[in-house]
Amino acid sequence: MGKRTIPLTALKAGETATVVSIDAVFCKGCGKRWGFEKRLMDMGLTPGTKVTVVKSAPFHGPVEILVRGSRLALGRGIADRILVEVED
Amino acid sequence: MAEKRLRIALAGNTNVGKSVIFNYLTGLHQHIGNWPGKTVEKAEGTLHFKGYTIDIIDLPGIYSLSTYSIEEQISREYITVEKPDVVINVVDASVLERNLYFTLQLMGLNVPLVLALNQVDMAKKKGIEIDVEKLEKLLGIPVVPTVAIKGIGIFKLLERAVEIAEKRETPKMVVKFGKEVEDGIAKLVKMLEGVHCRYPPRYVAIRLLEGDEELEKEIERLNPEVVATAKKISKELEELHGHSCSTVIMAERYEIAGRIAREVQKLSSSTKPRLEERLHNLTTHKIAGYVIMILSLLAIFYSIFTAGGYLSEFLNELFYITEPLFYELFGTGAIGNLMWSVMEGVIAGITIALPYIVPFYIVLYFLEDSGYLSRIAFLMGNIMHKIGLHGKAIIPLILGYGCNVPACLGCRIMETERERLLAVFVTTLVPCAARTVIILGLVGKYLGIEYALALYIFNLAIIFALGRLAFKVLPGEPTALIMEMHDYRWPHLKTVLKQTWFRLLEFIKIAFPLIILGSFTIKLIEVFGLLEPIALALSPVTVTWLGLPLITGIALIFGVLRKELTLIMLATLFGTTNFAEVPGFGPIQMIVFTIVTMFYIPCISTIAALIKEIGWKKALIITIFEILFAITIGGIAYRILIQIFALGH
Repeated sequence: MGKRTIPLTALKAGETATVVSIDAVFCKGCGKRWGFEKRLMDMGLTPGTKVTVVKSAPFHGPVEILVRGSRLALGRGIADRILVEVED
Repeated sequence: MAEKRLRIALAGNTNVGKSVIFNYLTGLHQHIGNWPGKTVEKAEGTLHFKGYTIDIIDLPGIYSLSTYSIEEQISREYITVEKPDVVINVVDASVLERNLYFTLQLMGLNVPLVLALNQVDMAKKKGIEIDVEKLEKLLGIPVVPTVAIKGIGIFKLLERAVEIAEKRETPKMVVKFGKEVEDGIAKLVKMLEGVHCRYPPRYVAIRLLEGDEELEKEIERLNPEVVATAKKISKELEELHGHSCSTVIMAERYEIAGRIAREVQKLSSSTKPRLEERLHNLTTHKIAGYVIMILSLLAIFYSIFTAGGYLSEFLNELFYITEPLFYELFGTGAIGNLMWSVMEGVIAGITIALPYIVPFYIVLYFLEDSGYLSRIAFLMGNIMHKIGLHGKAIIPLILGYGCNVPACLGCRIMETERERLLAVFVTTLVPCAARTVIILGLVGKYLGIEYALALYIFNLAIIFALGRLAFKVLPGEPTALIMEMHDYRWPHLKTVLKQTWFRLLEFIKIAFPLIILGSFTIKLIEVFGLLEPIALALSPVTVTWLGLPLITGIALIFGVLRKELTLIMLATLFGTTNFAEVPGFGPIQMIVFTIVTMFYIPCISTIAALIKEIGWKKALIITIFEILFAITIGGIAYRILIQIFALGH
C-alpha cells in the first residue's frame, strides 16, 4: 500500500488523514514563517495527528475539520498549506 | 487585624465557561475595563469567602501561552509578574486533550494551580466520562468537576482554590519531554543558574527552544550565551527530527496531554446523533444553513430596531417632559439655553444609542455563547474574507445599518487587534439609520428612490474598496480563519445579562463626557454667534470645492452630534422643509451633501465607541481620514455630476 502526501483541501468530506507538516514559509531563504503555523499546532494540528474533513462551506469557503476531539473551521488558504498523508 | 486578601486568576481556552464562573463568583461586584495601554478587555471582581476578600481576575481566553497574540502575552505577564495566589484553570471536559495542552503550559509557570473540570454534564451527554481522582493523581493538582451554568461545584472549587493559595502549593509534576529535548533543556537550565529572570528556569529553557522572540530579547540582555546555545541546540534537534524544534516540543506536549486524556476518560459512543450534532449539520448546511442564517439575521435586525425604537421613543418623550422644568430652574436666558442644550446632548446619548446597544449586546452574547456566531462566520468566511474581514464581522456590519455605535462595540468579537481595527473601520462607513433618514429624506424624496438606491450601491462599492485597501496597507499578519466551533449549548442568561450591563456602564463612562462636551461646545458657538463666521471659514471647502450653499457648513457641524441633525438643521436654516424650492440647492447639491454626510465623520457616540474598542489614537486617525475622504469624494462627485447633468439637458 502506497502513501501519498496531499494538501488537506484535497481530502473528500468524511476522509481521515495524518498531518505531515504545515507549509508556512513566509519567503524563501529568510527563514521567516507565518504565525498561523504555531496557532494551528496550538489547536492540535501537530505532525502525526489524525484529522478528519467534515465538509467545506460553499463558494470556496472554509473547511470544517475534526481534530483531537474538537471541531475547527479553517480558511481555505490555510487548509491548503496543511499537508497530510493518506494511504491508497 | 489586617484584612486577609487573596488574588485568584481564571485562565483557560475560549468558550469553556470561564466567564460564567467569573460571573457566578463575583455577582455584581465586578468591573470591566481594558488592560493598561491595550484594547484587550479586563474583567475584575471581588468576593468574600471564609474571611478573605478575594480579588478575581478573568484572563482572556487563549489556547496557548506562546505569546503569539496580545491576549497570550497579557496572560503570561499577569501570571508571572503579578503572581496571583492561585490560578484556576477552567477546562472543557468534552475537549479534554486540547484543554490539557494549555494546562501543561500553565504548570510550567510554577504557580499554584487548581483545575475546574467544567461542563462535565455536556461531556457525559457526548459519551465522555472522566475519572477525576485519576486525573488529579496524574496532574498532581486538585481537580474539581463543575457545571458552571448550574452553579454545581463552584463552592468546592473556591474551597480548594483557597486551600491551595494558603499552602502556596505549586504543581509538583514536571512535564517530561523526549530524551533529546530533555537533554537540551537540562543544558540550558544549568546555564540559567544565577541568571535572574522572572520566569522559572525550566520554563525559560523550553520557551527558548521553542523560539520565543520576546523571551530571547529578555535573556539576551542578561546572558547572550544562553540564547546562542539554545539556538544551537534547537538546530541540532531540528536536524534530528526533521521538524523545527518548536514543532517537536509542541507535538510532544500534545502527546502527553493526549496520553493523560486517554487514561482518564471512558468513551461510549451513542448510537443516534445528538441534538447538538443535528443542529450543527443543519445550520452549516450549504443551502439550509444560508436560509437559516438570512432569516436569523433579518429577525435579529428587525427585533433590535423595533425594540430599540420603542424604547428610544419612550425615553425621548420622558425626557422632554423635563424641558419646562429646566427653563424654570435656570431661566430662559443664555444659561438656561446652555444647560438645556447640554441636557439635550445627554438625552440624545440616552435615547439614540443606548436603546439599541442593550438589545444588541444581549443578542451578540447570546449568539457568541450559544455557538451560532461561529457557524455564521463559517458560512460567510469566504465572502467576508474578500473585504479582508473575518467571517464574524458580518454581524457588526449588518447591525451598522441600524446604528454604528453598537456595531463598533460589537467588533469586540474579532480575535486579533488587526481584525478588530479593520472591522470597526468598515463598520463606520456603513450608513446607519440616521444617515438613511438623510439619504431617503433628501435624495429619495426629491430625486427619486432609484437615486437613493444608487447611493447605497455606491456606498457598498466604497466599503469594499476601502476595506480591501485597509487590508493591504495595515501591518501584521492577514486575517486567517482558525476558529473553534464548539458544541451548541444554551447560553447562561444571567451571564449574558451581566456582561451586557457592565459593558454598557463602560461605554457610558466614555461616551457621556464626550457627548456633553460636544453639545456644550456647539451651543457655545451658537450663543456667541460664531456659527456664521465658522461657516464662512469653511466656505473654501463647502462652497468652492463641494459647490454647496454656505449654510450647509453649519448643518454639517451639527451632524457631528447626531447625523440626522444635518437634515433638521438644514430645514431650520433654509426656513423650509421643502428643499426643492430652495435656490442653489438643486439635485447635484442634494447628492453631494448626502455623500458627504454619509462618510464625513462618525458621529460623536460612534467616536466614543471607537475609543473604547481601538484606543483614542486610532479613533482620531479614522475620524480625520473619514473627514478628508468625504470632502475629497464629495468634490469629485460634484464635478462628475455637473458633467452628467449637463449631458442630460
